[in-house]
Amino acid sequence: MTADPLDIFLTFTRLGLVSFGGANLPEIERVLVDQKHWITPQVLANGFALGQVMPGPNMLAMTHYGFAAGGWPGALAATLGFYGPTALLSALAILAWQRLSRWRWLPAVRSALLPFGAGVMLAGVLVLTRGSLHSWTGVLIAAAAFALLQGTRVNAAVVVIGAAALGALIGL
Amino acid sequence: MSAPSSPLTTTAPPAPPPQPPTPASLLRLFMGVALVGIGGGLPAHTRRALNTRGWMTDAEFAEAFTLAQLTPGPNAVNLAAMIGARLSGQAGALLAVVGILTPGLIVMLAVTAFTLGVPGGLPGPLQSALRGAAAAALGVMLTAALPVLKVTAGIRGGPVLAGATFLALAWLHLDLLLVLAGVLTVGLVVHRPRSGE
Repeated sequence: MTADPLDIFLTFTRLGLVSFGGANLPEIERVLVDQKHWITPQVLANGFALGQVMPGPNMLAMTHYGFAAGGWPGALAATLGFYGPTALLSALAILAWQRLSRWRWLPAVRSALLPFGAGVMLAGVLVLTRGSLHSWTGVLIAAAAFALLQGTRVNAAVVVIGAAALGALIGL
Repeated sequence: MSAPSSPLTTTAPPAPPPQPPTPASLLRLFMGVALVGIGGGLPAHTRRALNTRGWMTDAEFAEAFTLAQLTPGPNAVNLAAMIGARLSGQAGALLAVVGILTPGLIVMLAVTAFTLGVPGGLPGPLQSALRGAAAAALGVMLTAALPVLKVTAGIRGGPVLAGATFLALAWLHLDLLLVLAGVLTVGLVVHRPRSGE
C-alpha cells in the first residue's frame, strides 16, 4: 500500500495547520488511521514513542507515518507538508507581531485558544492509551515514567529508552 | 552591549563581541539545539544558546515563545522559524528550521526504514521494546499536558471548554476545525475586550 505523495503532502499539511500546542493526536488518528487507513494504531503509538528518543522535535513521528503511508517519497512528503507551511506561517507571524501586540482582541484569542489546546492534549492522551497500553504491565510502565519525570530531573529520552529495554526484557 | 575593548570570546582577533547571526550560524545553532534536546526541552536549550551568543534578550525570546505556542504546528519548529526570520530574514528562517529538523530526521529515517521495512513484521523482542517505549511515551505526554492543564484551570471558562473539546474529539470524533471554530467562538465571547480594560 503506497499512497500518492501529493495526497500525503496535502494531508500532512492540513494536519500541521490544525496542530496547536504541538501534536494533534486525535486528528492524526482520525485521518491517518480511520479515514485513510495509512497506519494502524500500533504504528501510531510506535512512531510517537520513536519520536520521543529522536534528537529535535518529538513530532518527527510524522516522518515515520509518512514512510508507512508511502515509503521514502511518503516520508519526504509528510515531513515537508507537516513542517513547511507551519514554519512559514510562524515566520510571517513574528514579523507581524509588532502590530498584533497592540490588538485589543489578542488576550481574548489567547484565552480562547488555551482551553482548546488543553482539550486536544487530553484527547491525545486517550489516543495514545488506546494505541499503546495492552496490558497492566504497560499501565505500570506509563505510570512509573510519569512519576519519574514529575519527581526527578531525569531526561525523557532516558526514561523512554529504559522502558524499551524493560519491555524487551519482560516480553511486553 | 558589552565593553568593546576586550571581547570575551577567544576566537579570531578582530571579532566584535556579539557577532551578528548569519543563516549559516543559525543552522549550526539549531542543529546543536536539536542534538542536546533529545527528550524535549528544546525551547529551554534554544534560549540558552541565544543568550550565550547575545543574539536575543529574554524579553524578545519570551515574545517569540508565546507566539510559537499560538501558531499552529510543533512549537519547537515554529520557534526556530520565528527566531531565524527575526535575526536573519528568509534564509535565516529556512536554515533554522532545517537545522532543528536535520539530526532527528536522519535518525528517524534510518530507524523507520528498519522497523517498517522488515518483511513479516518486527522480531518479538524489538516489538516488545517498542511497546515499552510507547507506554513510557504516554507518561511523557502526560507530563507535557500537565502545565497546559494548570494554566487552563485558571482561565475563566477554561475547564469547561477544555472538557468540551476533549469530549468532542475523543468521544464524538468530530472534525477538529469544527470544534476549534466552536470553542474559539465561545472563548472569544467570554473573554471579549471591554472598554476601559
